[in-house]
Amino acid sequence: MKKYFIVLLFILLPTVSFADDFLGAPIAPDAQTVNKSEKQFTYTTSMSHDEVLSFYKEKMATFENIKYRDWEEETYIEDDGSMGWHSIIISKEPGEQGTQVVMSKDSWSWIMGTLILRYIAVFVVLMVVFLGMKISGAIISSYVKSAEAKKA
Amino acid sequence: MSVNEILDLLKGILHTTGVFNFELNVIIMWAIGALFMYLAIAKKYEPLLLLPIGFGIFAVNFPLVPLMGYTESGHPQLLEVFYHYGLQWEVIPCVIFLGLGAMTDFGPLIANPKTLIVGAGAQLGVFVTFTGTVLAGFTLKEAASVSIIGGADGPTTIYLTQKLAPQLLGANALAAYSYMAMVPLIQPIIMKLMTTDSERQIKMKQLRAVSRQEKILFPLVTCGIIALLVPAVIPLMGMFMLGNLMKESGVVARLTDTAQNSLMNIMTIFLGVTVGATMSADSFLSWKPLFIFGLGLIDFAVCTVGGILTVKIMNLFLKDKINPLVGSAGVSAVPMAARVSQMEGMKYNKTNHLLMHAVGPNLAGVIGSAAAAGMFIAMFD
Repeated sequence: MKKYFIVLLFILLPTVSFADDFLGAPIAPDAQTVNKSEKQFTYTTSMSHDEVLSFYKEKMATFENIKYRDWEEETYIEDDGSMGWHSIIISKEPGEQGTQVVMSKDSWSWIMGTLILRYIAVFVVLMVVFLGMKISGAIISSYVKSAEAKKA
Repeated sequence: MSVNEILDLLKGILHTTGVFNFELNVIIMWAIGALFMYLAIAKKYEPLLLLPIGFGIFAVNFPLVPLMGYTESGHPQLLEVFYHYGLQWEVIPCVIFLGLGAMTDFGPLIANPKTLIVGAGAQLGVFVTFTGTVLAGFTLKEAASVSIIGGADGPTTIYLTQKLAPQLLGANALAAYSYMAMVPLIQPIIMKLMTTDSERQIKMKQLRAVSRQEKILFPLVTCGIIALLVPAVIPLMGMFMLGNLMKESGVVARLTDTAQNSLMNIMTIFLGVTVGATMSADSFLSWKPLFIFGLGLIDFAVCTVGGILTVKIMNLFLKDKINPLVGSAGVSAVPMAARVSQMEGMKYNKTNHLLMHAVGPNLAGVIGSAAAAGMFIAMFD
């Protein structure tokens, strides 16, 4: 009997925890599911943007490596630690159903994408320095030449 | 006074000594400290840094020593003061960059600016290692700080680690400086594997003379561009370029001399001993530092490969070919990596002097690794 109870507990536990969180990230109490998949969870809530933001700040006060970004149309919360989720986006403009919150699973595509882009960006920075050197070099060369011509 | 009272008194005195507070794990740290001091003294591997680092590790791992921490009344102890103001406030890496700038001649890079691209290509390992570190269970911030080791730039590694993952400062700094010291051992094997005999024989055109005006304008242009594109690293790059401007302007000889010598030496002492002091047995003896050392080697090797590959790709489009042996100098171990290019070039052709050609990518590597660090800082800001 005890064995069956433990098995049942293991089956039910993820379901129970999923009701309150998405991969460890809390979900607002009156959340209405809009879309739910393994990679993403979208819900709406009657709470305002500021209330949702306060809710997350309070719930995740003890979480390490959480970053809050205030964007024009939404607030972006990102986990730079080792949580199962990667981001939570809270829209600033409430729709008919209320404030929309999109939670995304931590994904390798984000990591690889950002790494490749940043590696390319290093090339871009050095290319711009290269161009800057070329242009300034050309200006100085012409200046030196004209100065020498004047002397002659 | 009774015998018991005398014994209690003796007991009290003995308990204030380190002997009664001794733990076995400190012996491993003494051995690590001794190893670094041995490498510095006997093998002359980066002695200016490995000696004070080794001593810092050794000294801080004695029980009850009032070096790293706070007194009961809350006053910081000696090395804690150095650590707080020097590293936590990110002063030391920036001031060291001022000294490095004052010691650097950018002439070879200005004469052949396309070698800047090699400095970018050599950051390959930094981004590849990031992935490996995340896979191993490090957080993204820790992964960024570990992966910058491959750029082989000590101050940049310390600057980034202090910003993103200060708990890894000792291990990262030690790995960065160890691999910088081991450039002549690691790079030649990779250089040989990555190049053909005919490529190693490529003779490069003599570099053009660079005017004083160009040398003065370079730090200003570079500082402006970096400030616009990667503002996060301007404390480092700004100081680097200020040091260089002081040198090239020629009007502040006293300041340049101080930056190159006294100031640089003072900072090096503080940096070394403080980095060593962060490595107490409690924080250092875990799987992470060992993993950092292992991954750092791969990181450094991939960066070397990245530099050589970049030159090979560039050669597909260039009329005047670049010897791929200078590609390995794209890691910013200045000037060791450039010297290795010279030595390897001479092995295959005694008349092929690559030193000045390798200095360009070497300096580009400094800018490249700072740009990569800036990308990581921006990622987490």
